[in-house]
Amino acid sequence: MIDLDRVSKAYAKGQPAVDEISLHVDKGEFVFIVGDSGSGKSTLIKLLLKELEPTSGTITVNGQVLNTMKRRRIPKYRRGVGIVFQDFRLLKDRNVYENVAFAQRVIGYPSRVIKKRVPETLRLVGLAEKYKSLPKQLSGGEQQRVALARALVNRPEILLADEPTGNLDPGNSYDIMKLLEEINERGTTVLVVTHNKELVNTFKKRVITMRRGVIAHDEEEGEYIEA
Amino acid sequence: MFSLASIATMAACIFLFGLFFSLVWNFTSIVKGAEEGVGVTVFFEADIEQAKIDEIGDAIKARPEVKEVKFVSADEAWDEFKSDYFGNKAEGLEEGFKDDNPLANSASYEVYVNNIEDQAGLVSYIETLDGVRDISKSDVAAKTLSTVNTLIGYVAVAIILILLVVSIFLISNTVSIAISVRKSEISIMKLIGATDLFVRGPFILEGVIIGIIGAAIPLGGLFFVYEKACTYILTKFSVLASFINPVPRGQIFEILIPVGLVLGVGIGLVGSIITVRKHLRV
Ligand SMILES: Nc1ncnc2c1ncn2[C@@H]1O[C@H](COP(=O)(O)OP(=O)(O)O)[C@@H](O)[C@H]1O
Ligand SMILES: [Mg+2]
Repeated sequence: MIDLDRVSKAYAKGQPAVDEISLHVDKGEFVFIVGDSGSGKSTLIKLLLKELEPTSGTITVNGQVLNTMKRRRIPKYRRGVGIVFQDFRLLKDRNVYENVAFAQRVIGYPSRVIKKRVPETLRLVGLAEKYKSLPKQLSGGEQQRVALARALVNRPEILLADEPTGNLDPGNSYDIMKLLEEINERGTTVLVVTHNKELVNTFKKRVITMRRGVIAHDEEEGEYIEA
Repeated sequence: MFSLASIATMAACIFLFGLFFSLVWNFTSIVKGAEEGVGVTVFFEADIEQAKIDEIGDAIKARPEVKEVKFVSADEAWDEFKSDYFGNKAEGLEEGFKDDNPLANSASYEVYVNNIEDQAGLVSYIETLDGVRDISKSDVAAKTLSTVNTLIGYVAVAIILILLVVSIFLISNTVSIAISVRKSEISIMKLIGATDLFVRGPFILEGVIIGIIGAAIPLGGLFFVYEKACTYILTKFSVLASFINPVPRGQIFEILIPVGLVLGVGIGLVGSIITVRKHLRV
């Protein structure tokens, strides 16, 4: 599903943010990516979204080599990859329903499909009743659920989450993580960047630990390893 | 705010374009009328034989720039003179001169050219012909009008070009601001897989709408003012009325409206597309 072959990314001269990483993730896996601030986790996510170009190495996702992908193919590729951020990144002037529907309008789905899929997805993340609320009327946990619904509404094969619980209290963090696990059990490959030691240790998934741009540890049913 | 400035500049640009367009067209039509009415008159040497006159006529007719050659006999010239200068009070005159035509030597050719620019060349050619006494030309008016027309054309092109650049610049500015206001929304759109067209479309549309509004306002204004202006000029300067015949409004606007709108849309498109290309690289 995801293959990195000696991938490096250097923003400037000197120490690269990602340094010759080789990594393989199977379809249907759930992977935690942990590591200190500045160890290159977000850079890795951006490389997978083709938001950044690698300085060297090859990235293959779903059989498509990202390095050689044509510019006009990028939107199509991204539709197969859901993305969630620490800061939610919702459209502030639109309500919950519109934020989720937006992801489908962008792709040009007919409104018939949108009217069915959006409530369905909101139910999945437990926000069916609040579809009319604006983001500022929601708690952090609820906002992240909206973001999650937006990432899922197009049924991506891969879900990337960059510190999705970074702004949430422990209770909400657990709920979001539980939701991610549920989504994974429905067949989506999930990569979660996180600093949350307790959750990593609770969920017992594969854990990749990054340190200064390289993979320091990579273990099945791993534990959160301190720097 | 900025879009208001864009629309205003654009409107000024298209307004001037329409104004000069109408002016130049009218001047051209006046010049053309003047050109058609202005010819050179070729007089012959005294006691010339008719055969020689025919020979000269053939030589002139053979020139490609010549549109028409009219022979005016001495009698015709006298008749024309009388009616021109004395009108129906000519009877007394008739008595005095009787068969003694004072213009006996005034048989002539009136030569009309297709294009007023060719007239000078033709005159110097005719001067070389044997038997030609004198050539009178009255192309001064036509020439002046022609020059004025060209001058207006140049000034118009210069002003319109400057305004064109300013319009494009302002539209580009407007679109830049619209883009920066929606920066986060745009980045979200891109990350969830929006195509370039989906992201850029609305901004390009904004430019085009500014273009259409900026064109429609001045075109509409000119449309309503044109006829009034024509009537005003003709009544105010009634001397002109005899030889100025304004181009009908329909004829001008049939062309001016589509050209103006295309110009407006074009400016809007160019302004927004260059900006969008600069700021919205995926
Ligand atoms: N846009 C950027 N320009 C320059 N350097 C950057 C940029 N983004 C990240 N970096 C640097 O790359 C390194 C890795 O950053 P990042 O991938 O964001 O780490 P993490 O997400 O693990 O905290 C850091 O040293 C950071 O300063
Ligand atoms: Mg980060």
